[in-house]
Amino acid sequence: MIETQWLIPFLPFLSALLVHLFGARRGKRVAQLSVGINLVVVLVAVFQLITYIARDTGPQWTAMAGGWGSLQIDPLSAIMALVVAGISLVVHIYSIRYMIEEPGYARFFMLLDLMTGSILLMVMAGDLITLLVAWHLIGVFLYFLLAHNTEPVNAQRYAFWTFITYRLGDLPLVLAAMVLFQAYGALDFPTLFARIEATPDARTFLDLPVAGTVAFLVALAAFAKSAQFPLHTWLPYSMEGPTPVSALMHAGIVNAGGIIINRFAPVFVHSSEVLHLLFVVGLFTAVLGSMLMLAQNDIKKSLGYSTVGQMGFMIMETGAGAFALAIFHLIAHGLFKGTLFLGAGKVIGAARKHDGVPNDPLYDFLVERKPAPARLPWLLIGAAMLIVPLVILVLAHAWVAPDFFQKQGAIVLLFFGWITGVQVLFASHRLDTENPLRMMALIVLSFAVIVVGYSVIGHSFESFLYPDTEFREALYAAAGIDQITFGVLIVLLALVMVAGWLGAYLTHVRRQRVDREHGRTWLTLYSLFSHEFYVADLYNRMTVSMLALSRRLNSWLRWG
Amino acid sequence: MSVLLILLAAVFLPLFPMSLAFNALAARITSTYVQVALFIAWPQIGVAIILWGDLAPAGGLLVAWAILSAILYAFRLLTIREAGRWAAMLASSAWPLVWLFVMQRPSDANVIGFALAMSAAPVLMLLVRSALARRLEAAYTGLHGGLARDLPRLSGVIVVTTLAAMALPLFPGFFALLALLGGATPGIALGVLLTWLLWSWAGARLLQGTVFGPRSGPIAEDLSATTTWTFTSLVVLLVVSGLLWTGGVL
Repeated sequence: MIETQWLIPFLPFLSALLVHLFGARRGKRVAQLSVGINLVVVLVAVFQLITYIARDTGPQWTAMAGGWGSLQIDPLSAIMALVVAGISLVVHIYSIRYMIEEPGYARFFMLLDLMTGSILLMVMAGDLITLLVAWHLIGVFLYFLLAHNTEPVNAQRYAFWTFITYRLGDLPLVLAAMVLFQAYGALDFPTLFARIEATPDARTFLDLPVAGTVAFLVALAAFAKSAQFPLHTWLPYSMEGPTPVSALMHAGIVNAGGIIINRFAPVFVHSSEVLHLLFVVGLFTAVLGSMLMLAQNDIKKSLGYSTVGQMGFMIMETGAGAFALAIFHLIAHGLFKGTLFLGAGKVIGAARKHDGVPNDPLYDFLVERKPAPARLPWLLIGAAMLIVPLVILVLAHAWVAPDFFQKQGAIVLLFFGWITGVQVLFASHRLDTENPLRMMALIVLSFAVIVVGYSVIGHSFESFLYPDTEFREALYAAAGIDQITFGVLIVLLALVMVAGWLGAYLTHVRRQRVDREHGRTWLTLYSLFSHEFYVADLYNRMTVSMLALSRRLNSWLRWG
Repeated sequence: MSVLLILLAAVFLPLFPMSLAFNALAARITSTYVQVALFIAWPQIGVAIILWGDLAPAGGLLVAWAILSAILYAFRLLTIREAGRWAAMLASSAWPLVWLFVMQRPSDANVIGFALAMSAAPVLMLLVRSALARRLEAAYTGLHGGLARDLPRLSGVIVVTTLAAMALPLFPGFFALLALLGGATPGIALGVLLTWLLWSWAGARLLQGTVFGPRSGPIAEDLSATTTWTFTSLVVLLVVSGLLWTGGVL
């Protein structure tokens, strides 16, 4: 097994080389070569995962030579290798036809292979240097993939944004590696993590704790790669690149933040403060991304902000101590977001034929002879919305893992699950239907199936990814805060949510009055949203000022 | 004596304003071959002086001077448009890092290796400048953009050279910087990382001004297959040497 694992990152790089060498001779058929090799990678990844589970020998580590250039098979690398290889294969197959009329067809497949190889190397890296190499390469190849169409100015501009943000994320990881190496004198993960476990209280410069400092630096690296506020601006604009790249990026590349945090879980378990930071930044980004998603009128950009929000949730989950859940989330998100991107073109095509705007109910009633839509009484639906999701969530988790409620992180996640459930029921209630009771029953049933399925799979996945129960408990404990503060925060959040719903309801029923009285406020808010809170403008202004200063310096020093 | 030797070494492992001498000299030389020889030999003279005089700094002013020089030239690199001048500024930003590396008391061979690794990208950039000037009469970024469309081989060479200039994996500069950071103090590490980030920014701007964007400028002939393969071999050699030599620290 230890030998075959080398094939997983190695084969895509080999494919890239072959595509480059035979690109001119084989023409468009070169894509088949790339797809064929990537299919082999998927098969090897499946074999590796099955063998790992079947043998049950625990994590294994192997190096080519010396202390670096090593790979590690553990649950995280085995499962992520399969996910990445699988998504990449789908993107490869999709690109065969999608990119057929684009210039640089062979170059595109070469870059796709290089990117796949880099991500696979990142998830399987067994030491700090290999991880750094892969971490850097991901940013480089993403830049060239986004700038694949070499001429449009906007594509280049946004590819540059992405590149420079990724570089900002590369450097904290370098610093983290430096601190770890200096403190523990090891590069390979098994030795490094064993030494951290033995002496978790080691100190580094300025008498700072090594674990806390490294966790903070890794978190910064993750923020840049996973588009967390304020380093999120590149993601929605990277849609200028080819659609298959968007799919691969949203389904695989942006997940790097969650993967790296999980890889360094033995460090985070000793860094409560950084876990709290992850929670706050993740929560803020989730809210920001979701709000900005609603303000978009371009489907790809809307999907971009949706990814920002989802990445926020993912980071927030790690901040709540649910490390395995973050990986489960990123896999689920990767699959559905990849599907959405690859289907975006078809949706746009369909929208050109039919605008999708529902008919006026009166028209349907008189012309189409359809009965008028009916709705359930608001009091009943209001009560159902608040109670039903909560009951389903609590019962599902109580059945799967009764001790789940003793963890603060779990309560937080249930809280967000409850809010999501309420939103789902509310959205369903607003749909026009002839039989609202049947629709509501179906929605509740679907919600229950999803929640139960999610709970069962989520808990099994957690046991697979982190088989050591004590370690799982320690992660939740590290993410916890004192009970009183926790209780106050939960109540406060619940009040904010209920106030939000009430506000939305009152705004809806008193629309004209609210518009008249608060028109200016709405306009200001709309301006803020449409300019995405001016974050990108601020960066632009800073960039221009720095370039002007550089020019002035060169002029003063006479270019010498 | 040692102060004089330090000042002399600061000319060859350039610290601002002593670096003005190297940049002025590099600008005057027109022959690419002589420039390449200068870029390889110049820092080695500085290394020889440091090793001979045992001038490794223990910290303090000299270290701060080296960091600020590296940052200053990296920052100025952002708006340099002529490729030859770009190579000289990159060298002026990279070579001061040798001062920081010798602080860690590495072996003589590793100091020489480090200086060579820091010279690799500027030397490659000189070759690019020569190829650009021969075809387009001038090697200015932003003047003749969009080369990727008509000159794919030359564009590939520019891309690879720029990646080397950004000290990205697997080029020797990457491992040299890791070796330096492996034994660096936090202050030095922050200075080195800032320099590294500025190189990346400058490199991306260089690519946008040459390889990417709408095609403009005269019609020109691409690199021949032989020249491309020669360059590829040179790059492979550099990468292999970078993989074998990691600075002795890692």
